[in-house]
Amino acid sequence: VVAPNSRYDEIQNTGNIIAGAVVCVESEIRGDVTIGARTVVHPKARIIAEAGPIIIGEGNLIEEQALIINSYPENIMPDTEGVEPKVMTVGTNNVFEVGCVSQALKIGDNNVIESKADLGRNVILTSGCIVGACCQVNTCEAVPENTVIYGSNCIRRVQTEKPQPQTLQLDFLMKILPNYHHLKKTVKGSTTPVRN
Amino acid sequence: MASLLQPNRVVYLVCGEKKIRSPLSQLYFCRYCSELRSLECVSHEVDSHYCPSCLENMPSAEAKLKKNRCANCFDCPCCMHTLSTRATNIPAPLPDDPTKTAMKKAYYLACGFCRWTSRDVGMADKSVASGGWQEPENPHTQRINKLIEYYQQLAQRERQERDRKKLARKRQCMPLAFSQHTIHVVEKYGLGTRLQRQRSGAPISSLAGLSLKEGEDQKEINIEPAQALDEVEPLPEDCYTRPISLPEVTTLRQRLLQPDFQPAGASQLHPKHKHLLMKRSLRCRKCEHNLSKPEFNPTSIKFKIQLVAVSYIPEVRIMSIPNLRYMKESQVLLTLTNPVETITHVTLVACEEGDSDDINSTAKVIVPTKELVLAGKDAAAEYDELAEPQDFQDDPDVVAFRKSNKIGFFIKVIPQKEEDEDVTVSFKIRHDFRNLAAPIRPSEESAEAVPEAIWLTHHVELSLGPLAN
Repeated sequence: VVAPNSRYDEIQNTGNIIAGAVVCVESEIRGDVTIGARTVVHPKARIIAEAGPIIIGEGNLIEEQALIINSYPENIMPDTEGVEPKVMTVGTNNVFEVGCVSQALKIGDNNVIESKADLGRNVILTSGCIVGACCQVNTCEAVPENTVIYGSNCIRRVQTEKPQPQTLQLDFLMKILPNYHHLKKTVKGSTTPVRN
Repeated sequence: MASLLQPNRVVYLVCGEKKIRSPLSQLYFCRYCSELRSLECVSHEVDSHYCPSCLENMPSAEAKLKKNRCANCFDCPCCMHTLSTRATNIPAPLPDDPTKTAMKKAYYLACGFCRWTSRDVGMADKSVASGGWQEPENPHTQRINKLIEYYQQLAQRERQERDRKKLARKRQCMPLAFSQHTIHVVEKYGLGTRLQRQRSGAPISSLAGLSLKEGEDQKEINIEPAQALDEVEPLPEDCYTRPISLPEVTTLRQRLLQPDFQPAGASQLHPKHKHLLMKRSLRCRKCEHNLSKPEFNPTSIKFKIQLVAVSYIPEVRIMSIPNLRYMKESQVLLTLTNPVETITHVTLVACEEGDSDDINSTAKVIVPTKELVLAGKDAAAEYDELAEPQDFQDDPDVVAFRKSNKIGFFIKVIPQKEEDEDVTVSFKIRHDFRNLAAPIRPSEESAEAVPEAIWLTHHVELSLGPLAN
């Protein structure tokens, strides 16, 4: 649960959506959130920057009911003094499928977080990783590249190729979503979001 | 809900070859013998083999030849999910001008669940979508074939000996000269197959099925016995020092699913042909009528014959259980549902002292003494608001409610054991049953006459959960 007067809401409450991104108004974006070009945010997706800003790169697909949250760690309260806010970064061409929850502070490129998957705050997704449907990853580690986590026991394997970027799907959504949904206003910014 | 989510709370006793206690929903009812049948006391017959993925039918001889696997469909060696064929465009040099490239369709196998692909094991992509996947050759094929041949020969010899003994016994009542001749003739013209047919109900050992064709020239086949080695291949030097990378080794399950290779590394996992499933029909062992016969077509999930017990026998369900206390009488609310369209009369009887079926009871039960009358099932009753409720003079002390073909009624339970185990009661349920499908009599009157009611008795056990604290 997010307190309405949490620190970051007070300081900065202007969503920073770069031109070219498609963000539906029915999505919930709170706090200092930067969304890169060609990223699609579906209605009812939630991106909540509570304990620090969130920077989302280009070409990401964030589906319905997905929750990306930069939340306070368990041992730190919103009113704890002297805690440096931590930035959450999401790279490019990632897919957040329906109903997934991601608290991971660093997500690289070309990852797929499948439906209802749950990523803990201490996980770092490098790139090309797939977190399978309903898999929970709550370890303190950097998941190696091209790892696939699947099944009810969260079995891991390494695949040879990274998943394909969802270019066609993004193009389609960017064409079709504005026909049925109002979009959030974008800012004309030449500053592309931080890419690593 | 007990029959859906906790089926084992109410069990019916089946007196077949051995006594089986099973929920009614898993039982069959032979309407020719008018008895309950469980899966353990019917004979199971294979109707047809089919692939669960492409739903292709396969005759059993062909299925045996293909080791009960589908020729076209594969399972993921990693997670055992069905593999799908995926198409991509890859640039390939043109045959007439190698400097130019054109997009070419390529197909490979991919698992949608764990994302395994046939490229992971280095299998080359195919230009056609169906079939032709390279399969690793088992290095032991020759030896295995040799062994199979050898054992076929043994089986053959064994059978001949058995037949000869049987005939020798018969021969005693035959003229000697004639009998000598008979043995010869009978052996040559397929006595073996006839014997086999007689035994078809019993499990035939797989070896007997593999027997050689009769009349074939019989070569003596000898095999070299396996040699025990004193020295085995040494372990790699870094076996104990190299850190294990779990994604690179296979799990035990993955290994055992490929018994011919048992790969240790995840990079050697080759796709496996999909196992076939079968359609199975059930037959009553007593009267040999079919109890369950599926439609032949694998795409159909319907049955030609399906004599399940729930559509013939009144079903007892537990509705509510009060707090049960040791040696205290409490009322348990049960329901009885009539599955047939005629009125059914039910009487409940407590088990008598020394009943051999009554072995699990831990409580005394007092059942209603009056006959319970169940209205017939009417599929449309739910939607027919004007339907007048039939007037049954029910004793409100016994019948709690009545709703179309269902009644709720009370039984009294007095737990007799103080231990922690579940309180179990059992009683007999006796009801009339009109066998609408009884063998049709040729007389014309029978068309109008209502079939004679017979009375059936079942032993029912209810598990009512533990005593209240």
